[in-house]
Amino acid sequence: MNIYKYGTLLVTAIILSVLALACQPVAVQQTVVETVVVKETVEVEKVVEVPAEEEVELVYMTAGDVNMLALAQNLLAATFKEDVNPNVNLRSIHTGPGEAGSRLIFEKLMADKEAGREVGDVDVAMVHQQFMTWAMEQDDLLLKYAPNLDTFQYVTAADAKNALGADVDGYVMPMFHSQTAIAYNSDIVTDPPESYDELVTWVEENPGMFGYNGIKGGMSGVSFTVGWLYWKTGNYDKYAAGPFDEAEIETWTPALEDMKKFNENVTFTAGNVGTLDSLNRGEIAMGPVWVDMFYTFMQEGKLDPKIKLKLIDPGMPGQPMYFVIPANAPHPEEAEQFVEYVTSPKIQGEVVIDRYNWYPGIDGSFVADSAPPEAFERLFQDIPPETLAERGKSFPLADYFTAMLEAYERVVIGGGN
Amino acid sequence: MSSAAETKSELPGQQEKGERFAWTFPLALLLPATVLMLVLYAWPFVASIYRSFLTTEEGLTLANYQKAYELYFRDVLFTLEVAILSTAIAAVLSIAISTYVRLANNRISRYVGFLYRLPIFIPFVVVGQMMRTFLAPHGLLNVFLAQVGLVDLNAPLQLFNIYGLVLSFVWKQAPFMTLIILGGFQMIDDAYIEAARSVGANIYHIIVKVLVPMSRATIAVAVILAFTSTVGTFTLPFMLIGGKVPTTVTVDIAHRVTYFGDYGVANALGTLSYLMVLVTAIYYLRYSVRKGIYEA
Repeated sequence: MNIYKYGTLLVTAIILSVLALACQPVAVQQTVVETVVVKETVEVEKVVEVPAEEEVELVYMTAGDVNMLALAQNLLAATFKEDVNPNVNLRSIHTGPGEAGSRLIFEKLMADKEAGREVGDVDVAMVHQQFMTWAMEQDDLLLKYAPNLDTFQYVTAADAKNALGADVDGYVMPMFHSQTAIAYNSDIVTDPPESYDELVTWVEENPGMFGYNGIKGGMSGVSFTVGWLYWKTGNYDKYAAGPFDEAEIETWTPALEDMKKFNENVTFTAGNVGTLDSLNRGEIAMGPVWVDMFYTFMQEGKLDPKIKLKLIDPGMPGQPMYFVIPANAPHPEEAEQFVEYVTSPKIQGEVVIDRYNWYPGIDGSFVADSAPPEAFERLFQDIPPETLAERGKSFPLADYFTAMLEAYERVVIGGGN
Repeated sequence: MSSAAETKSELPGQQEKGERFAWTFPLALLLPATVLMLVLYAWPFVASIYRSFLTTEEGLTLANYQKAYELYFRDVLFTLEVAILSTAIAAVLSIAISTYVRLANNRISRYVGFLYRLPIFIPFVVVGQMMRTFLAPHGLLNVFLAQVGLVDLNAPLQLFNIYGLVLSFVWKQAPFMTLIILGGFQMIDDAYIEAARSVGANIYHIIVKVLVPMSRATIAVAVILAFTSTVGTFTLPFMLIGGKVPTTVTVDIAHRVTYFGDYGVANALGTLSYLMVLVTAIYYLRYSVRKGIYEA
């Protein structure tokens, strides 16, 4: 009797959790089916004949949101096998969103290094800029592989040479660039602000209608804060190019005190997605978002089409995601093949731009032929390329970046007291 | 265990061997579990406390605690506030549910007895996702209240704060506490309750004078377990209030590690949460040890 009762209970609970999972958009992508690796049973004589055709399991670790995992598992694994190398089975491992995901990859590689493993487990990884500042401090963690690739010639972006002050030339291939901007509901905001200056006035006139997620709830809020400091100090060039000068930190206090005042009229949202959700439900009329998330939500019908984007003056930060190959990668050749494939104009146009709404990792002029014109138009309709070039900023040097976050904690949040 | 060893050592000459066996065998059985506990629990626990006193520049120092105090002291208080408030409300609620299921014996009470357990099986991250849309300013709850005419959608209830957080924790913890407390209530003989009723006790008296005093230890265990897991939960506060001011210590720990790679201050904050649950943990250990002695 009891067993029956608990059995029913368990089944009900499972059904309910599945329903709960199915109802949330993010988790739908999370239920990505693992790529099934079908190993051919090769006869012994065959192995002796052609040992080169042995199957390779290429381990690909990716930080970022779950869409990065879905991209690798559902799409790239299959097309890479079909288009480039039939012997490679791509095995994707997702380490989680944000810098925390990159941190896990770094810790894995460091653990390998400290254990003295000459052949590790990871063949290729997808990381944030911050990762490079940690990794380049170790002189032998990564391979300088990029110049070996055919697609290296298409890479023109400055952040492929320098990541937050770390010299990464040759160690990275950008897969895509992402950018933050202000999203606004064009029904409510008929005359959107063109600059941080105008935004502050607007927020004073419309208290509670601007929302962001602070600095502990995701990178879109961090990005807005960094943009604020660029605007108030006018020292973008110094913060992005260095060198680090500790005396600068003091000069931020008035700017952050203004931000504290600004925050009084602001609604705080629950994360990057939280800002988009709040915009969609009409709880706020304006807020900083990631451009790629914005367009993907829009394409999936999760955003009110009245919501548009504006990249305000003097600009907000964006960042690339990089491919890196660890120095102890078991299959460096196949890893290079894979990176070359994903940074090819074909994949950059068809997948990066058209499917994922990212700005391409290689120079846009090489991609124009392989991306459908409407995808190009969609990506640049609210933020034209000139505006992007002028107002798309980098994140500051790692030292400035952490100092900015901590200064925000001290001045704006006010810490313990 | 020893009796099994004795029966085996009946043959003369094997007596000594059997005794040694009886002595070492239980230890050998305990070894894997003990090693696992030491390696996966005790060592990281001690290491995290030790590392909270370490910085890269200065060696052993209190600098991490200094910084934790300067930047996150308010969050420590906030965490304590959330944990105490939600545990207290959940305790009252779970005692009420347990009393109802224990005393009433009808279709509805049996239904309640089944239904209350469902939230136990739902992980915090799912609760977080659920509450994010349920409690939002234009979420399900506010829209419903607006339809009924209780709330103006232009000035909706703001629940992405301590209220929403406490509500979510109560929703998740009360069923778990009920499961434990109801178990205690069901061990109480009907005779006590009937005796109380026959001298004129009403439901309030039965709860306060009979059920609760007789299950004090069980209730304490439920309170301790709920309190401890509330202090240590990251996903729910992160998803619900994330970057707001103030936020919980767990969110600060994640922030410290993610953006600064600063395990020193993160460990100091972790140690502060140990201290928060220490008081309750001591009580729990004392209780379970005492119980172990008397019931053996």
